Amino acid sequence: MKRFSCFIFLLSALLLCSCGKSDKPKLTMVTEATFPPYEFRTGDKVDGIDPAIIRHIADTLGYELKIQDMSFDSVITAVQSGKADVAASGITVTEDRKKQINFTVPYVTAQQVVIVKDNSPIHTTEDLKKYTIGVQHGTTGDLFVTKNIKEPQRFANGALAVTALVSGKLDAVVIDGEPAQVYLSQQTGLRLLPRPLTSEEYAFAISKKNVKLLEDFNRVLNEMKANGLLDSIIRKYKEQNTETAADLLVEDSKYFWIGVKEAFELNFIKDKRYLYLWRGFLVTLYISFFAVLMGLVIGFVVALIRSTAIQTGRYKIPDFFCRMYLTVIRGTPVVVQLLIIYFVIFGSWDIDKVLVAVIAFGINSGAYVAEIFRAGIMSIDKGQMEAGRSLGLSYFQTMREIVIPQAFKNVLPALGNEFIVLLKETSVSGYIALQDLTKGGDIIRSQTYDAFFPLIAVALIYLAVVIFLSSLMGKLEKRLKENE
Amino acid sequence: MNENIFEVKGLVKEFQGGVKALNNVDAEVRKGEVLFIVGPSGSGKSTFLRCLNLLETPTSGHIFFKGTDVTDKKNNINKFRQQVGMVFQHFNLFPNLTIHKNITLAPVKTGRLTAKEASDKADMLLKRIGLFDKRDSYPSQLSGGQKQRIAIIRALAMNPDVLLFDEPTSALDPEMVGEVLSLMKELAREGMTMAVVTHEIGFAAEVADRIFFMDHGQIVISGTPDEVIRNPDNPRAKEFFSKVL
Ligand SMILES: Nc1ncnc2c1ncn2[C@@H]1O[C@H](COP(=O)(O)OP(=O)(O)OP(=O)(O)O)[C@@H](O)[C@H]1O
Ligand SMILES: [Mg+2]
Repeated sequence: MKRFSCFIFLLSALLLCSCGKSDKPKLTMVTEATFPPYEFRTGDKVDGIDPAIIRHIADTLGYELKIQDMSFDSVITAVQSGKADVAASGITVTEDRKKQINFTVPYVTAQQVVIVKDNSPIHTTEDLKKYTIGVQHGTTGDLFVTKNIKEPQRFANGALAVTALVSGKLDAVVIDGEPAQVYLSQQTGLRLLPRPLTSEEYAFAISKKNVKLLEDFNRVLNEMKANGLLDSIIRKYKEQNTETAADLLVEDSKYFWIGVKEAFELNFIKDKRYLYLWRGFLVTLYISFFAVLMGLVIGFVVALIRSTAIQTGRYKIPDFFCRMYLTVIRGTPVVVQLLIIYFVIFGSWDIDKVLVAVIAFGINSGAYVAEIFRAGIMSIDKGQMEAGRSLGLSYFQTMREIVIPQAFKNVLPALGNEFIVLLKETSVSGYIALQDLTKGGDIIRSQTYDAFFPLIAVALIYLAVVIFLSSLMGKLEKRLKENE
Repeated sequence: MNENIFEVKGLVKEFQGGVKALNNVDAEVRKGEVLFIVGPSGSGKSTFLRCLNLLETPTSGHIFFKGTDVTDKKNNINKFRQQVGMVFQHFNLFPNLTIHKNITLAPVKTGRLTAKEASDKADMLLKRIGLFDKRDSYPSQLSGGQKQRIAIIRALAMNPDVLLFDEPTSALDPEMVGEVLSLMKELAREGMTMAVVTHEIGFAAEVADRIFFMDHGQIVISGTPDEVIRNPDNPRAKEFFSKVL
């Protein structure tokens, strides 16, 4: 019980940011904070041009602003489904997107540019066709390249694409002009093609249902344009970004020559980046722990219904639903289930994302646990049930006292394995913008442009937990073996 | 008063796939008697015994236990079974429980005895068969003969009106058969009502008050050991006993 409340405490600590009390109506903004200077993380906060503009608008309109960091692929869906009020993530205005949501008046005109290495044979956009091109998944650059040039390599964010370019995995990266400047100032040996690929406008996305909010936004945006506030915000962040970039550049070149120690400091120590891993680790543990509990309960009940139905012919109708549950859950990827639960089932509820993940992984794990338990129950000699029943114990008494304890012991290794699988599967939580361990590593990667250290660190942490769990299960098995 | 523990009327058991294991059996088990059921393999002996405590559900026919029709759907099957002990060929002890817990589990869980009463009773029974020192062992630490004797006292701890045995010595090494048979003999002497399926014809001839000879799902002849085993007036029984004796 004590340990349980400890977890509850941890959770509340983790979610403190969302607990601020206020009477003002909330305005939820979604963004993927890996797109400097438009949006990026500084420590715990999301900052940048978009957050700053939206903050001003929210203040003017009397809203309390809440910012959620999620993958760019999902921000428009989030607005559409009512999970968020406004998407502000350097979104380019396109005809296709206009069909799904309304755009505010544009606040920036941006370009898609091409980054190549200094010594690259690519000099004009016409040359691109023959080479490997990287883009950020779902961006205008992605759409344009796919439609007009060739199938590109899609990366979760621009930083990753640039990292790939630097390490020779790509020949060119198509990316928005502003962040391109930042990357160029951080990495030596890169250049831009002289002509931009496209020119485009950025605007905020608001649900078609929310016409009033759109009007309010447009009004304030136009005011900001008229009184110069918009320009000053944009200028401020661009300058700031070049400064920090210059900062990083020194670090980076040092890292390149001096190596491991500096790399370690850059990735983990500087700006307390280890905190991303530590907090992500706690979120991962939290989700896994409660999902395992939920999976055990669901799996246990389903297994009991299933094996009772098989062995006695009772519970035909519940058994039918259990079989459907097993078929659907085991027949679809867990990521898809997670997204469905978040966007479809809880689409219009303001429900905590950690809870969504616990529910999704719990339901998923329940199906596998059910089959493990069922196999365990059915592997127990029929004579055990008969002996119990012949003594006058009821079916469920015999199950509880005789069959299930034996079955549990038999399936312990399989259960342990399922928990380990579950722990690792939670690494897809980032899809609904949860900052779990994997996502923590991603964030570091997007800030340091280093793939090696964050990824290895994340892998090592998972590995350590799994080894710890395995030894725990081993001890438990041994303890139970002694009682025979 | 009704002197019969069991009365079986027109019992038919047909398994899925159409095997008629019991074909219209009429019989009774009398209070205090030691009844042996013998016959060739597949003749329906086990099925008959397992129908008695409803481990097999009869296809048709009626079974009366102390005058109550237990095949009636409204009858409380668990309450009924508490009064009928069963000993299996493969012991079916509960490997997850200690010997002591094996014995006390059912009396306590069914409310027949309090925990204290059940524990005292278990200790008394264990002492009686000389296995008190195995009280806290687990079944896997016992020999076959010890396991079967524990299984017998596990059934006895419920204070049943009748004990059913299905080939209690068939799974035992020859040197362990004796200890189980002598415990059964002791119970018989004390007046326990017993119905025993066995291939130990010699033992049956020695201990039985009455014997059923079964063949093809029917009780072909019944009577004293003399009538059934030594001088059967039935050709099938004659042939069977001439082979096994
Ligand atoms: N669960 C079952 N399903 C289908 N048929 C069965 C089942 N149990 C028994 N039978 C069949 O019913 C018939 C009687 O079986 P039963 O076990 O009662 O014989 P038995 O006299 O006890 O034989 P043995 O001496 O070999 O134990 C056999 O033909 C057997 O194959
Ligand atoms: Mg048999």
